[in-house]
Amino acid sequence: MIRLEEITKRYGQTAAVDNLSLEVGKGEVCVLIGPSGCGKTTTLRMINRLVEPTSGRIFIDGENTDHVRPEKLRQSIGYAIQSVGLFPHMTVAANIAVVPELLHWDRARIASRSKELLTLVGLSPEEYAGKYPGQLSGGEAQRIGVARALAADPPMLLMDEPFGAVDPLTRERLQAQFVGIQQGLKKTVILVTHDLDEAIRLADRIAIMEAGRLVQYDTPEAILSRPASKFVHDFVGTDRALKRLSRISVENVLRPPASVGIDATVESAVSACDECHWVWVVDDTSRLVGWVDRNSLSAASSVRDSVVTVNPNDIALASTATLREALSRMLGQGLKSIPVVDRDSRLVGEIALADIEAATSEAGA
Amino acid sequence: MFRRLVFRDSVAFSGSVVGLASLLFGWLTVKPSRVAAGASFQLWEGAAWPVTLLMAALWLVCLTASTLARERLRGAVLGITANLILATAFVVAGRAAGQLLEGQDTIARVSLGSGFWLALGGAYVVVFSARESLRGLRFSRYLVSLAGIVTFISLLAAGWFDRLSILQEFSGREERFLQELNRHVLLFAGSVSVGTVLGVLLGVWATRSRRAERPIFFIANITQTIPSLALFGLLIAPLSALSFAYPFLRDIGIRGVGVTPAVIALVIYSLLPIVRNTYVGLRQVDPAAIDAGLGMGMTRRQIFRRIEVPLAAPLVLEGVRTASVQSVGLTAVAALIGAGGLGWFIFRGVGQQAPDLILLGAIPIIVLALAVDILMRGLVRWATPRGLRRGEG
Repeated sequence: MIRLEEITKRYGQTAAVDNLSLEVGKGEVCVLIGPSGCGKTTTLRMINRLVEPTSGRIFIDGENTDHVRPEKLRQSIGYAIQSVGLFPHMTVAANIAVVPELLHWDRARIASRSKELLTLVGLSPEEYAGKYPGQLSGGEAQRIGVARALAADPPMLLMDEPFGAVDPLTRERLQAQFVGIQQGLKKTVILVTHDLDEAIRLADRIAIMEAGRLVQYDTPEAILSRPASKFVHDFVGTDRALKRLSRISVENVLRPPASVGIDATVESAVSACDECHWVWVVDDTSRLVGWVDRNSLSAASSVRDSVVTVNPNDIALASTATLREALSRMLGQGLKSIPVVDRDSRLVGEIALADIEAATSEAGA
Repeated sequence: MFRRLVFRDSVAFSGSVVGLASLLFGWLTVKPSRVAAGASFQLWEGAAWPVTLLMAALWLVCLTASTLARERLRGAVLGITANLILATAFVVAGRAAGQLLEGQDTIARVSLGSGFWLALGGAYVVVFSARESLRGLRFSRYLVSLAGIVTFISLLAAGWFDRLSILQEFSGREERFLQELNRHVLLFAGSVSVGTVLGVLLGVWATRSRRAERPIFFIANITQTIPSLALFGLLIAPLSALSFAYPFLRDIGIRGVGVTPAVIALVIYSLLPIVRNTYVGLRQVDPAAIDAGLGMGMTRRQIFRRIEVPLAAPLVLEGVRTASVQSVGLTAVAALIGAGGLGWFIFRGVGQQAPDLILLGAIPIIVLALAVDILMRGLVRWATPRGLRRGEG
């Protein structure tokens, strides 16, 4: 899809980007990351020719971008930046319509497209289309920024810290939304960030840069488990094992739960407790009710009498959660094993500390 | 307690105090002839005691109303009372002038005294304060602001003030007055138009070129510090020399005195506010918006036209407003170098020691400046994009 060949950008004597080569496949999310001044933003801006490289070539779908008029090139690439840069004198709808208008789309098509995009980024078109940027919160503005970048449905997006200027909670939501949108749209995305957690969360591949050079370009898992140099090793930090956990979804290491129905007999519950000392209890629609342990069962007359009820929201984990969240929950609650539920709080499995250990050693191998 | 009551509307309160004080000063001055020394008459001498008591009562109503706690009620009472005061003052001035001239020689003159002007000033202080209290009530605000002016114009048209000296100065000079008024408007409007074109170009240039930025502002700032009289005078010599050296310049009207140096000086004065506001207007555009525009594939020209111009326009027009109001006043000085305009009456009046002739030039200049100010404010508001308007939508 996009190929950078030996790109160099010099400002006077210093090279902001030094002989960098990079290839990003169609539909992939490539995150450029590194300390301030490492050349990641310059690299991004050379792709749509906001910065002209001193030497080297860039190909998009096999076409040398040097041979395309810069304006035309940029109209075909979505562009979203940290400070958003919405035009304050235009409504949200007019802001989204900028590129479609440059491309001379007809009014009806522009209107329906901006509706579609507002819905896509989770804002109601009726409420937001007529608003002005001054009336938006930071998170809303960033979402409009992303919608504007997607307006003409470009196959490729360049994003410069698109979730940088908002509070951590909003950033997390925007990231989750981005992952969802990207799963549907499969754009080729090049995203600049200095936040490693964001990179790990969003990237198919991470390009780590140092002083204008590309020092490692690989999947997040590989970068976390096999840092290519001391710089990368230090950059990913001592908690890289933990970070790796946030790449693994609970679904992948789920094991079938040891559970009994709330109306089951004491005998069957005791036998279900065979391997461990306790067992999950569910109701007749498989929703998690609580748990019973062997000691209390021996004295009780029914499961219902001895069950310790729990609130599924407090204790159970969603199946879409990451191992990092699972571990955090276990440590926080002092549990060796926690239940996993689906969206309707039905028990779908459980996960134990040993499973997390196994998963990390596997990924690290 | 007293303090708390007073400060509900301290502006209207001060205006009312000024108004009450105005009753102690002479309202009309009667002179046996245009340039002779005059005798001052108090309100109760010129008009009558009931009128004086009415005025005092109205001012006391203002004074009391300025302590009202309910804002809109206060605004309404103050606005209505102040306009009643204005109407009374106008009616009294015209009527008393006629009565005082009764039996006098035909060359006797009666002019307005400090008491009248103080009352006018005090009443308008109250009117403006009342306007503030009536925020959000557009119609009432217009009514309060304009009622006094409308009364004045109606009385003027009806010949109510004809016996006042200032109108006697006017009568017999109608043609001259219209001619100079016309010239005044042409001089300042023409200069500001040229100044706007030049100023905007220089302002844009200053934002585009770091090398041009400093010299442009250096020159624009320096010219602003030259006294207007000096600048008018300084232009005479080089322009005379030019027109003597190149006679064809004389033929197209370029001479050392008259319109040419006046226009040049007025253009120079109007530059700074326009250059500065254009520069600030363009500089305050969020660089991120420009970067986003470029990144989306807009050309530099599209960014200028569709982003920078609409965002900078209100500030540029604000600069034009400052330049216009300033020019209306400065144009008065242009009369000194033979360019004409309403300043002609002022300098003629100074020369003849005829204060009312000075007023015949000065009052229209003030009115013109206010009218230009109001017009330009409307224009600025109209040019402000909706997304940038404060307190709206």
